[in-house]
Amino acid sequence: MYFVFIPAVYRTLRSVYLFFVVLLPVLCCLPGADAFADDRSDYLAALVQSAREKRLDGERTWKILLHYEKAGSGVESLVDDTKFFLAPDGKKNPRTELEATIAGFFQQETGDVEHPQCRFIARYAWLKEQLSIDEARLLRVECAKWKEALASMKPKSAVLVFPAAHGNGPSSMFGHTLLRIDSDKRNELLSHAVSYAAYTEQSGGLAYAFRGIFGYFKGYFSILPYYEKVTEYNNIDHRDIWEYDLNFSEHEVLRMVMHMWELKDIYSDYYFFDENCSYDLLYLLEAARPSLELTDEFRNGLKSWVIPTDTVRVIKESGIVTKINYRPSQATRILFLASQTESAYQDVAADVVKQKTSPQAVLKANIAPEKKKQILDLAAELIQYRFSRKELGKEDYQKQFLAALNARSTLGVSTADAVPVPTTPPEQGHLPGKFSVGAGYRTDSYFMEIIWRPAYHDLMDPDDGYVEGAQINFFDLRGRYYFKEEQARLHSLRLIDIFSLATRDKFFRPVSWKVNTGLEQEVLSDGEEHLIGRLNVGGGVAYSSRFLGASYLMLDADLIAGGALADNFSFGVGPSAGILKNVNDFWKISLSARSLFYSLGENRRSIKATLGQNFKITTNNSITLSLSREKTSGHYQSDVLLGWNFYY
Amino acid sequence: MRKAFAGAVMAVLVVVMVSPVFAAGSAHQNTGCGLGTMLWKGNADNSSLFQAFQATTNGSFGSQTFGLTTGTSECSQPSAFVKNDRLNEFVVANMDNLAKDIAMGGGETLAAFSELLQIPTEKRSEFYQKLQANFAKIFTSENVVLANVVDNVAAVSAN
Repeated sequence: MYFVFIPAVYRTLRSVYLFFVVLLPVLCCLPGADAFADDRSDYLAALVQSAREKRLDGERTWKILLHYEKAGSGVESLVDDTKFFLAPDGKKNPRTELEATIAGFFQQETGDVEHPQCRFIARYAWLKEQLSIDEARLLRVECAKWKEALASMKPKSAVLVFPAAHGNGPSSMFGHTLLRIDSDKRNELLSHAVSYAAYTEQSGGLAYAFRGIFGYFKGYFSILPYYEKVTEYNNIDHRDIWEYDLNFSEHEVLRMVMHMWELKDIYSDYYFFDENCSYDLLYLLEAARPSLELTDEFRNGLKSWVIPTDTVRVIKESGIVTKINYRPSQATRILFLASQTESAYQDVAADVVKQKTSPQAVLKANIAPEKKKQILDLAAELIQYRFSRKELGKEDYQKQFLAALNARSTLGVSTADAVPVPTTPPEQGHLPGKFSVGAGYRTDSYFMEIIWRPAYHDLMDPDDGYVEGAQINFFDLRGRYYFKEEQARLHSLRLIDIFSLATRDKFFRPVSWKVNTGLEQEVLSDGEEHLIGRLNVGGGVAYSSRFLGASYLMLDADLIAGGALADNFSFGVGPSAGILKNVNDFWKISLSARSLFYSLGENRRSIKATLGQNFKITTNNSITLSLSREKTSGHYQSDVLLGWNFYY
Repeated sequence: MRKAFAGAVMAVLVVVMVSPVFAAGSAHQNTGCGLGTMLWKGNADNSSLFQAFQATTNGSFGSQTFGLTTGTSECSQPSAFVKNDRLNEFVVANMDNLAKDIAMGGGETLAAFSELLQIPTEKRSEFYQKLQANFAKIFTSENVVLANVVDNVAAVSAN
């Protein structure tokens, strides 16, 4: 029997390897040299032969199930856990891995490790179909753990879940996507959430950032009850959640869950920027329906990072989204409840929260029952909100929350309306990349300007689909050509530019803040522009009013460094203030001014005012007009720029 | 190439961010069986630049990567609806929102709770009213725990 088999196996060097490393041990371990074992080894050889003839290792489904991506002239799996591969070179060799997988199905069961038929249940299901595997000729394996998990999940349908950014953390725009697997339970909270995340023992610090960027964290898939995710995003992080129902059939969802099972306890190196949560989730969708080409969109694209909204867009464009649902965060709900409550009663709710009055006193007050209901609904939400923000200790929270609810329970069913759904879901906002071409005049010369910003959102960009007042720009590069001097030069390169304009009101008292750093042209004491390095930070308060829009006041600290400065650096502080107003759906105005006093390093003084306007043409096109005037160390400069922005 | 690019951008960024105000991560804090049992992992509200990274990784703490359930092993178990693990887990994880929904006479958390109790849809509004009317008998004190709440609901709904 071996002699029949051997010529086929020896055909290539790879096969020799396969034979000794994978097949031989399997064949040897089969029980006895009885007729069944002979039959099984014959059958294994036949299946391997058939897989070769059908070239299954080149099939798209195999590529998806193993997470193979092009790497040089060959391929390489993005999965880094050796447990995921049955062939020693399986990470880079789809064929040996496929054949080792088939061989694995013939293995004897051992007590401590799940049998490959169960462990790699999606591969097994696919190969069984492709090779018409006759299960009667394999060892019978029970897969009790898988069956138990399946019975617990009862997968029926799938939903893509995207938590939007939260109000005072622009960086959360880089957010997260996860999947919800629905069962026969009608309540969505009782579904399961599938999420890919980095396993970290720390959550901050230099080493944390470094490790995240260069792939030193391990990413794992996790499954948790959906209510835990809803609590995490809606009640703790205060992020609105968007849900996209997918048109997968029950069978496709089962295939996806099978692949999830294969990825259980399997890690891939996690990279913040590309091999991240949103990217790895795409494999699950492809596993459900291999004809979907989702990961390809990113691998073949020009972008060097994967942003969750981009994955939502790609998924939506693939045509599998049937319906979009919105789940407001607790903070959003509070703002809505407050907007429905008269100002005087908002004050009563605030007094309950501050314990200036008690919920019982509200019950006894001479107020219409409907209004009491509104007051106590609002108060209960606010007490819970304060606890979630750790502004309230657990014991105080328990007392206050329960007192408010006790009073509230005497007032009957809530009549509050549902929070209205924002008109633009996140994936319908402008694309995060920006390319601009503009022309302008500075002091004594006309110039052309080109801007490239790979990500993500500027305060002046149209807000639809984004959180208002949240700016995060990465790698904002500006070059100018001055006609008078016939010279092209780098105008600025802002590596990062975050601005969180979070307005305060009766209930929320956030701190607005900003940080930006990079290289910039700056007018120095000689009246000329010089390229300097800059780190600028600020913190302060912002309020919103109908007439002015959002207005803010901050204290800035500014550090600049460069050879043209006396002492090579200069550090200053001073106030900055501004307003930002959406005049209407397509017109936005900002007016800002700052005055800085530099007293460490080179002594200097700088004052600058800027008027910016943005006109939205379409979702991905807008026009910018900005005017600025500054006085630095006695030298005046004016700058006018008109530009066309294209978002990509 | 892609990683090198992102890395180059971030390397500079990282240098800039050497600052003592890093958010300290906290694992499952404040666990318990009563009100205020919130899961605080991944809290992004500490205004720190490292939100950028927290938000992207959604770092999951602990070793539980494939937990279909979260467990109530540290809680004393209710005597009513014995062996209903999913119910108990749900109540422990959602007690605050459940209390709020009961006090307000409806809501998604209360609906999920009713589904786990297998209350038929047509009997839900009556059930909600009963619970709301008896709020103080269910949430008897701020120290109420899982076992009390479930047993009290059983007692109230039997009446």
